[in-house]
Amino acid sequence: MSGLAGFDCFAHPLGEWLKGSGPDSDVVISTRVRLARNVRGFPFTGRASAGQRAEVLRLCQDALHRVHLEKSVITLDLQQLGEIERDILVERHLISRELAGAEGPRGVTFGRGEMLSIMVNEEDHLRLQWIKSGFDPDRAFAAIRRVDAALDKVLPIAFSEQYGYLTACPTNVGTGMRISVMVHLPALTLLDHVEKVFKAAGRMNHAVRGLYGEGTRAFGDMYQISNQATLGRSEEDILASVKAIVPQVLEYERRMRGELYTEKRELVEDKALRALALLRSARRLSVQEMMGHLSMVRLGIDLKVITDVTMDTVNRLFILGQPSHLQAETGATLTPAEREARRAELVRGKLATATN
Amino acid sequence: MDCQCCQKKPAHIRVCDIEANTMSEQFNVCADCWIFIKRYLFDHARPLQPTREVLQEVRQLLSSQEPKALAKLEPPGEITPVPAESLPVCPECGMTLAEFKHKGRFGCARDYEVFAAHLDPLLERIHDVTPPRHRGGRPAPAPGADERVNASRELSGLREQLRAAVAEENYELAARLRDRINELERGNLTPGANP
Repeated sequence: MSGLAGFDCFAHPLGEWLKGSGPDSDVVISTRVRLARNVRGFPFTGRASAGQRAEVLRLCQDALHRVHLEKSVITLDLQQLGEIERDILVERHLISRELAGAEGPRGVTFGRGEMLSIMVNEEDHLRLQWIKSGFDPDRAFAAIRRVDAALDKVLPIAFSEQYGYLTACPTNVGTGMRISVMVHLPALTLLDHVEKVFKAAGRMNHAVRGLYGEGTRAFGDMYQISNQATLGRSEEDILASVKAIVPQVLEYERRMRGELYTEKRELVEDKALRALALLRSARRLSVQEMMGHLSMVRLGIDLKVITDVTMDTVNRLFILGQPSHLQAETGATLTPAEREARRAELVRGKLATATN
Repeated sequence: MDCQCCQKKPAHIRVCDIEANTMSEQFNVCADCWIFIKRYLFDHARPLQPTREVLQEVRQLLSSQEPKALAKLEPPGEITPVPAESLPVCPECGMTLAEFKHKGRFGCARDYEVFAAHLDPLLERIHDVTPPRHRGGRPAPAPGADERVNASRELSGLREQLRAAVAEENYELAARLRDRINELERGNLTPGANP
């Protein structure tokens, strides 16, 4: 593995937010709080010339070095990275697909724990995010607010009294704050109640989408719930609304899991144990298949049907089995068939280790 | 009077030095060319007020390097007039209302002021709030930060000018530009002094 200068993604453990230890981690994988900010005096990224983008990148990285973010941070220049390396950062939720696929000067700075990540020259000059394990919006917000306040002191930020923090897209203006809660909803999916959740969340100004953000499919019954409105509400209002809505979804999922376990125990045991047996034996696995079965194993762990695999192992496989992680680990570009074989081998290895 | 830039369309905009306000310090351009000129000045990190320095730059733009410099700003082709329904136009980034409506993205922070009259219904709909006004936190004052950004904007403009000067083998200018860049990079954050 080479190319991610100063960052070997396999020597480096996966993000702390994946450890499955935070509040409500039976249903919630992670809580992410993101703030969108722009540097005053420069056009937004989409309108800036290459020279201006380079200058924004330099200014932001200089500011990031001036403020004390974490003990040690890693800064990567995305123009220097290959496609697989950029995709690894997407799979690890450190950058967006948009930033990976964009052109021109752009970068990312993240903490070693991979909870803090700061994208430069995404749609906005700065996208600051903090990810916590489980459902923990207050602490994720407190952490990213500290970073924001520190940056404020060294960087002039585009702001208006009327509209708040000014952003390239009118959907982010105001607080520039988006809270995204990644949830695992296997029971609601199995019992066909997910649509209801989508509609109810929509009525309360929250969106539900797939694992890797806008326009992506919900693989492995993983969804993101996030606030839609950023203007006309304070940061505290947004936190309060997320804290009012998400627990209702969690309760609904838990009730359905309980129902499955009491009324359809045989069905759920069969699904979870079959999924585990398949993952332990398969010689070829597509991403969708892996994620679908991992989802059932995760449900089995929560319902104590499966006791010899940890949540942490499952959460990590969700990331390590993604195409770019597989290819980077192998050190070669693999054909789809080779990837499926390598993925199956990886999953067998991890799930066998868990048995010992 | 014809536009002194494209020499085709009627000139409706007079660029002059308000302090001097003499005929010798005036330029008359059409609305379309003015957008290009402002874009050029913006890209080169020059202030937009019609000061003496800007005037001089506009003069240079119109005489010596005009066709080349303007051609770089936009894909080649005829300069098309901005239709009335596309107005207003942002004086900083050149974004028209029609372009914003088409792309759904602003070009710069100034657009929020320029398009203010058209924004409220959109923001009310997106954020489901009336009136659509900010209620959250604000950035703390950042002493010295604006100076750093101004210096940085000047730097990016100077670097582009340096590349052009070297390409044109104008080494005298290139040397002055290089010295100014070095000065700024060493942390002398007083922007604005011309090399």
